[in-house]
Amino acid sequence: MTTVLAPVEGDAVGLSAVPDPVFSAGMVGPGTAIDPLRGPGVAVAPIAGTIVKLHPHAYVIVGEDGKGVLVHLGVDTVQLKGRGFRLLAAEGERVAAGRPVVAWDSALVEAGGRSPLCAVVALDAAPGVVTAVAEGAVRAGDELFRWE
Amino acid sequence: MGERKVTVAAEVGLHARPAATFVKRAMQAPMDISVGKVHGGSPVNGKSILAILALDVRQGETIVISADGEGSEEILDELATIAGTP
Repeated sequence: MTTVLAPVEGDAVGLSAVPDPVFSAGMVGPGTAIDPLRGPGVAVAPIAGTIVKLHPHAYVIVGEDGKGVLVHLGVDTVQLKGRGFRLLAAEGERVAAGRPVVAWDSALVEAGGRSPLCAVVALDAAPGVVTAVAEGAVRAGDELFRWE
Repeated sequence: MGERKVTVAAEVGLHARPAATFVKRAMQAPMDISVGKVHGGSPVNGKSILAILALDVRQGETIVISADGEGSEEILDELATIAGTP
């Protein structure tokens, strides 16, 4: 069982709230989304493991058991090409859960006309294996859901 | 072994929607599907969204999709279409 932590502070609102069907329809996998507190903030590692992919707007961390978790900061934020995001860790780095990975500004993303909602997704997971999904206010590092 | 070489056309590369659509279709195939970059790297499991995201195929990069067995030609055509769609 893997405990997945909230990467950012905000309100856990569920993947269905993400205005992108790739996430809201669960095409990438099960999980939840956080409507982040607006303003500058730091997104942290949701699990301990290796950062196998690090983009400014999204990252994937794989734990020792091979489970991969995707954190996607905002919708269509790939279009920003890194503007407004700053990497605080390196691809290939091993990190503890809760370690800062990317600094960003959710208010800036929103001001640019994009949703700042952060999807947190269990990759290659069947829908039923994500349990104890948090709802409402969470702080970065709080338990967000369990991956059985 | 059947294979298709296709240049990824989507602006985001084989990420987000193209990646999810590709893996969703690959998952429905009865046989193994592998995906690799033409230039370097070992092929990865085409049914794993984690593997595809980690492969990190950018727009304009060419991939080789491989599959073997009954119906594989049709599936390869469909996967090549998904990967080649802008």
